[in-house]
Amino acid sequence: MFPRPIQTMSPAARTAYKIALPVMLILWLLPLLGVAMTSLRPSSDLAQGNYFGMPSYLAFSNYLDVFRNSPFASYMLNSFRVTIPTMIGAVALSCLTGYALAVYKFKGNLLIFFIFVAGNFVPFQILMVPVRDLTVKMGLYDTITGLALFHIAFQTGFCTLFMRNFIKALPRELIEAARVEGVGEWQIFWHIVLPLVRPAIAALSVLIFTFIWNDYFWATVLTTGADTQPITAGLQSLNGQWVAAWQLVSAGSILAALPPVAMFFLMQKHFIAGLTLGAVK
Amino acid sequence: MKLLKTAAIAALVAGMALPALAQQRTLTLNTDASDPAPKAAFDQLIKGFEAENPDVHVVVNIFDHEGYKTAIRNFLTADSPDLANWYAGNRMAPFVKSGQFMDVSDVWQENGLKDSLAPALSSMTIDGKQWGVPYTYYQWGIYYNKDVYKKVGAEVPKTWDEFISNCKKFKAAGIDCLTTGTKALWPAAGIFDYLDLRTNGYDFHMKLTNGEIPWTDDRVRKVFAEWAKVLPYTTPNVSAIDWQDAVSNIVQGKAANYVMGNFAVATFKDGGMTNDTLGFMDFPEITPGIPRAEEAPTDTIHIPAGAKNVADAKKFLAYVARADVQTKMNETLGQLPINVQSTVGDDPYLQAGFKILSTADGGIAQFFDRDAPAAMAKAGMEGFQEFMAYPDHLDAILERLEKMRKRVYKN
Repeated sequence: MFPRPIQTMSPAARTAYKIALPVMLILWLLPLLGVAMTSLRPSSDLAQGNYFGMPSYLAFSNYLDVFRNSPFASYMLNSFRVTIPTMIGAVALSCLTGYALAVYKFKGNLLIFFIFVAGNFVPFQILMVPVRDLTVKMGLYDTITGLALFHIAFQTGFCTLFMRNFIKALPRELIEAARVEGVGEWQIFWHIVLPLVRPAIAALSVLIFTFIWNDYFWATVLTTGADTQPITAGLQSLNGQWVAAWQLVSAGSILAALPPVAMFFLMQKHFIAGLTLGAVK
Repeated sequence: MKLLKTAAIAALVAGMALPALAQQRTLTLNTDASDPAPKAAFDQLIKGFEAENPDVHVVVNIFDHEGYKTAIRNFLTADSPDLANWYAGNRMAPFVKSGQFMDVSDVWQENGLKDSLAPALSSMTIDGKQWGVPYTYYQWGIYYNKDVYKKVGAEVPKTWDEFISNCKKFKAAGIDCLTTGTKALWPAAGIFDYLDLRTNGYDFHMKLTNGEIPWTDDRVRKVFAEWAKVLPYTTPNVSAIDWQDAVSNIVQGKAANYVMGNFAVATFKDGGMTNDTLGFMDFPEITPGIPRAEEAPTDTIHIPAGAKNVADAKKFLAYVARADVQTKMNETLGQLPINVQSTVGDDPYLQAGFKILSTADGGIAQFFDRDAPAAMAKAGMEGFQEFMAYPDHLDAILERLEKMRKRVYKN
């Protein structure tokens, strides 16, 4: 069933593995390496047609120009202002819904759960026009609040599926024992269930952070200006009216990718846990 | 809910802490001036305006150029600013006809703009009214590599026949006579516009883009026949590259000529060309004797119908129209001012552009995608791109465009 450790394979297979791994890695990282190279290229190289050769010099100034030529810092801040409330909101709501759906038996429990899950199967592109109209009517169009609220609403479906399955896997005896002792329902949730689902909360937070940070679609649909647009939408503004400043877009992309990458390395353990948690029941 | 509340409280606190702001009127401007030069020009413009009107505070929202084209439809209906950037000619027609731009004829009347902005009057007028104020334009023409011309011993051509015979010399030396990059479609339209303006003249071109002439007309075929002459000498696979990727062909001396707008000069120079190696010429003559027309896309500022601070917006338009303001602004932009009393910087390409535009007695076209309605422009440019790759598809292309014309201009 499980992959055997590489040490137990034949010497030929081991050599092939050792060769294939770096080759695959380089192939896999080639586009990223290209972006990294371009981000250090002076614009004159691009105008001369030197796209893949050695840069004529390393233009670290591109990284400064990103901040000089566009309100990059403000885009970055907007991303945090959307991502962090969404992360907190969606995880908090899904802890409650997950608990309710996993612990209480009531009529329509399964139906409600399926509705949450079904929301994930709706391709969000078809929601574009109604959601835009809704935010305009609510006065939330082109606001951080509007974008964050929408993300919370949409992400709660996935988070509920995740949380409900996790809480369902907890031993029911724990909750029943507490009830016998006369502990109130809120107390059970707060003092027994929440501490037990901490790994799930951590994993979910990391996942949601990267999902929302990398969202481009809703950022372009629901926000328009530098005051509200997150970094994914703001990157476009580094391109000029006529000239696509690829060196700046590359530098900006690398900067924009740093927070989720940092998040991944800091919380790596939870991230992997998050990917497998929902899979095994 | 909590978020909303905090936001409301924060707004309240901010409002109380800064009473000075309350007395200032605000004017919001949405612009796609996201390039360094246009951004600097707008910063300068707004600083100048605020210095003269200390009681007005201008709030600028900068959009990226591509995103702006869709964003404007959004914000004009949802969250209208007091001022917005757009373009002259047919590009503003949909907003004018749907009542989303305000009639600003009174600003033109009171400030005598019909004289000072005369070059752009016709492209700003729809139904006899003016709908915005133009502040800059730039010339199109042929940019060429002087070194390559010297290398093959070619003279700068005056007529299309001379241009084609030069092409044979370039071909012998292994150099592409004409290069472009049509991935974004519009560069091909520049070539078509000039071929049509030189073959059939300004009036015909305007009638064609207005849908008054069938695309299957023999005079349209004549334009494509002229175009076919240069296709064997054009860089292959131009539809695969962007216009700025094709710039390197000129920089490296792999190609000789490039039909482009003046904004390309910055990229040529970035690639290492100088005033000594980069040449500019007017598009050569094809049909002798027709009045020479040129292409000069014009950028404009409009007041959306939903503007809240109309009085200050009109003041702003009057300010933008002034000769001294346009001189200064276009120095920063590296483009040409519209106001006839303005002066032009000593850049040789701008000087040349100013000369050919001010002496163009045929008329000034905007650009194919600004003169023709959006749907027609898109179909047309796709047709031009296809023609460059497969010249033998011409009949099918023209029939398709003719069908499109009947549909687009029906109303």
